[in-house]
Amino acid sequence: MTRTPHLTSDGAACCWIPLFALRCETARQPELAALPVALVGSDDTRRVWQVSPLARHAGVKPGMTVSQAIGLCPALKLCEPDPVHYDAQFSRLLAALGQVSPVIEPAELGRVFVGTDGLERLYGSVEQIIEAIKRGTRNAERGTVEESSLACSAFPLPRSAFRVGWGRGKFISWVAATRAKLGDAVIVPVGGEAKFLAAQPLAALPLDSDTYRRLRQLGVRTLGALAALPEEAVVSQFGRAGRLLWRLAAGRIAEPVVGRVAPEPIVAALTFFSPVGERALLVHAIDKLVDRALGDPRRSGWRVQVVRVRAELEHGASWLAEATLKDPSADRERITAPLETLLERSPPAGAVERLVVEFTAFAAGTAELQLFARDAHAAARAGRRRALRTAAQEIKLRLKRSLLYHVIEVQPWSRLPERRYALIDYEP
Amino acid sequence: MNREQTRNAEGGTRSKADRLRALNVQQRVEVELDENGLPVGMRDAGCKLRVVEDVGEIWRIDDEWWRAPIHRRYLEVIIEGGRRVVLFEDESTGEWWMQKPA
Repeated sequence: MTRTPHLTSDGAACCWIPLFALRCETARQPELAALPVALVGSDDTRRVWQVSPLARHAGVKPGMTVSQAIGLCPALKLCEPDPVHYDAQFSRLLAALGQVSPVIEPAELGRVFVGTDGLERLYGSVEQIIEAIKRGTRNAERGTVEESSLACSAFPLPRSAFRVGWGRGKFISWVAATRAKLGDAVIVPVGGEAKFLAAQPLAALPLDSDTYRRLRQLGVRTLGALAALPEEAVVSQFGRAGRLLWRLAAGRIAEPVVGRVAPEPIVAALTFFSPVGERALLVHAIDKLVDRALGDPRRSGWRVQVVRVRAELEHGASWLAEATLKDPSADRERITAPLETLLERSPPAGAVERLVVEFTAFAAGTAELQLFARDAHAAARAGRRRALRTAAQEIKLRLKRSLLYHVIEVQPWSRLPERRYALIDYEP
Repeated sequence: MNREQTRNAEGGTRSKADRLRALNVQQRVEVELDENGLPVGMRDAGCKLRVVEDVGEIWRIDDEWWRAPIHRRYLEVIIEGGRRVVLFEDESTGEWWMQKPA
């Protein structure tokens, strides 16, 4: 598979919908709008995750235990999170923004950067580009994305939920979005970054609590105050992180928006030691192959839309089944379910010698959602995979070749021990 | 054009990830038997004779009668030094093989 270079853009529009998950719930259950509402965390159901303004007014804060929250606000309406729904809604937003610009970088649930370089020829000035972005999000809300077959049939967030910021680089556009009124936009003109940032509070920077406390103790309250300090002095106090913070505060860094291109098909194949005819065994093999294909790092951030299974049969025949998922998914069971139905309905005409699973079309997702929803442990797996990849590269460098293998089940049901398991080159 | 060539022509060269190496492949051994047909010694590829100290479970596997039939007589044995190995006799050829116990 050839790796396509990333699409990048220095001009960045940040489209932000605060409390995205909560707004999705309110859109689905309008009666919640008039109540103090809190979403319970998906990883820790004893704590509150997102809090509506009414509940916040009553003193409820994110991270509080549920009992504390109810103690403060007895009328609090608690909602179980529905990550798959939020994921689907966010995907629709991404699809809608993808109609405006090819450079889209999801940052987290409800926050996405749109690259705007080169859009002037299509839309005109920055203001007009922002208008096009707003129009795109409104179309997504209404389900009227033009010339799109994407599933934008429902994105019922209130229009005023969107805040848009524009500037050179992601940080400035993000800060601009946080300064924008609901449903409005803030544009930071090129050359005006330092002036704009100077008045912003320190909390706009990506700070850990310790650094924030230390800066406050030094009397630094705004980005302007930080940028007024000598860069080297900040570096001597806070190290490399300090240099980054100083440069962000001074508007000296413009991180480009990095878009992603849709990945090419991901393939996982298995050759049986002896042809397999039993349906249960084929289902088992498909499960394993789907798992393996889902684990491919190129799939990260994408949900599978079309999956295909090819089988090479004894005596040179073949068999093919293809399923298009109505709701793209990265969940093994959701992907294999239609394949199992197809296998049941029209099974291969002979014993299978080789089985190939291919993911041929994808729908965008986000890193956050991997962490949050779809396959609950995907983010943890991704972290482990990164560590493994580094270790594998080190081994390869030292020994000049990769000596890592993965043990996989081939025919675990076989009575012949040598056919049950096999080694496969491990390429994390 | 054989099956392998057809695959390569259609889908390019097979990826590394498609290469499987079977685990627990049997190794050829020579076995000395007593009058009851039970092993008393075995000689592996290193050609060193190892005394069989005990014979444990014995079982059979008869499989794939529909193509190349497989008939194996398995024996779990303890060889000198206390190591546990699994021997089997391929009854269609009379050859003896060793595998790691499950």
